[in-house]
Amino acid sequence: MADLKDGKTTGHQWDEDEGFPLQEYNNPLPRWWLYTFYATIIWAVIYWILYPAWPMVDGFTKGMWNWSMYKELQQDLDDVAAKQKPFNDRLGKMSLKEIASDNALLQFAVSGGKAMFGDYCAPCHGGGGVGVKAGGFPTLADDDWLFGGDLETIQETISNGRNGQMPAHLKSAGGAFSDAQVDDLTQYVLSLSGKSKDAVAVARGDTLFHGEAACNSCHGDKGDGSLKGTLAGGPLPPVGAPNLTDAIWLYGGDLQTVRESIAKGRVGQMPAWGTGTTNRKLTPLQIKQLTLYVHSLGGGK
Amino acid sequence: MIKHETIEKNVSLMTILTLVAIAIGGLVEIVPLFFIKSTIEPVKGMRAYTPLELKGRDIYIREGCYNCHSQMIRPLRDEAARYGHYSLAAESMYDHPFQWGSKRTGPDLARIGGKYSNHWHQAHMEAPRSVVPESVMPGYPWLRKTDLKYDDIEKRMQVLNMVGVPYTAEQIANAKKDLVDQASLASDASGLTKRYGNKVPKDDFDAQPDRVTELDALVAYLQMLGTLVDFSSYQAQTR
Repeated sequence: MADLKDGKTTGHQWDEDEGFPLQEYNNPLPRWWLYTFYATIIWAVIYWILYPAWPMVDGFTKGMWNWSMYKELQQDLDDVAAKQKPFNDRLGKMSLKEIASDNALLQFAVSGGKAMFGDYCAPCHGGGGVGVKAGGFPTLADDDWLFGGDLETIQETISNGRNGQMPAHLKSAGGAFSDAQVDDLTQYVLSLSGKSKDAVAVARGDTLFHGEAACNSCHGDKGDGSLKGTLAGGPLPPVGAPNLTDAIWLYGGDLQTVRESIAKGRVGQMPAWGTGTTNRKLTPLQIKQLTLYVHSLGGGK
Repeated sequence: MIKHETIEKNVSLMTILTLVAIAIGGLVEIVPLFFIKSTIEPVKGMRAYTPLELKGRDIYIREGCYNCHSQMIRPLRDEAARYGHYSLAAESMYDHPFQWGSKRTGPDLARIGGKYSNHWHQAHMEAPRSVVPESVMPGYPWLRKTDLKYDDIEKRMQVLNMVGVPYTAEQIANAKKDLVDQASLASDASGLTKRYGNKVPKDDFDAQPDRVTELDALVAYLQMLGTLVDFSSYQAQTR
């Protein structure tokens, strides 16, 4: 405090009338602070010279290093592309089956697929493909498939999308059947997985299922779905009609939900990622990686 | 020569000199932006929002979506990998006010358009955790139940026109018709596409064919975000 006492004051005085005037010392700035301040000024000038800084009338000073954020981004992207190139080149040339039997390459593809799945697919199919009942979005981590779970079919599904084709059956929803008939069909469908107790209604529903409503033309004579079911001994069209005899339900297996599915129909949509527009377009290479990832979730065939 | 003491003891003089100092700084930073050509990149595809998208944008602001979602993809590698091309100034040139933001409790939405289906948006707005279990987003179930009010749509477009959004007299005159047409699958959309281009998505965005609700407007807005600029014609300043 010694030098404070010796310093000169600024000349201001307050509260003179109190007989104890307040004064303000005019001490020099601390040296360390002053030199740091000068250093920042010098740094600013260096920065102006090296980096883009000053706006001009039509443009801005680019700086000696010609640095730009866009260039840096491009450099980053190029670096990653160069690192991935040896893998991507092989991924592009090899078939899905060949990749699946090459451990190192499979690991690369599955890692890439996992990252993409998190952003593009998980909102509907859930993290890790656990499925989301609220929207009828199928589980991808089990071995119950609508269109098929082999590599080629999964690739086809991701590339070109899929459209659900379950029509509405209730008259008021645009179908051809009465409330009572829809009730009978519901009882029959529930009976396929052993959940109906109304044998009379089941019998009526059975007739409708294989007759007037022609449910068997997609779900098969036994109601076990278009993938493994048969129609009069022959194969079914690949329309993705679910197996009704197992306990796996896309929208729900309680009476009310099954009835709603029959009454109003279900038109679930899997978007086409190979031909999508702007924000929904994946390259064939990305789709390959996603295919291998989905296949690896546990249900791949 | 004015002494420091003179300025310090004269409030009016100090106020005036402070204003002058700040004004110089402001002018140097702001004025060149009006003249520098690269401020807003020349791009193809940008158009003014359709009446339905405009109402959707109003709902986006009303519900405070910007509090958790930004609309600004930065030129960084991880953002490019997740969200796509970085945002251009041109993409928000018809926004008054823009929705850039920097708070990302939820993901950036600058390129959400077309990424997920309408069906997903419906389920997600109704109850976000029913589709994304780890989400902290609140539900907006009333949007689906609330009819969209759009009596003032022409006025809103006129005001935006005053601040530089190029709405034509024809677009303003047909606003109500275009709004209803865009929210329906069955309608004739020739007028809408003539006025706003072929790429305008036309759909029953809320899965309720007989109603135009707030959900219709919001989903239409979200499905358009980041889809307008034709990037195949955009020459980036990267090399």
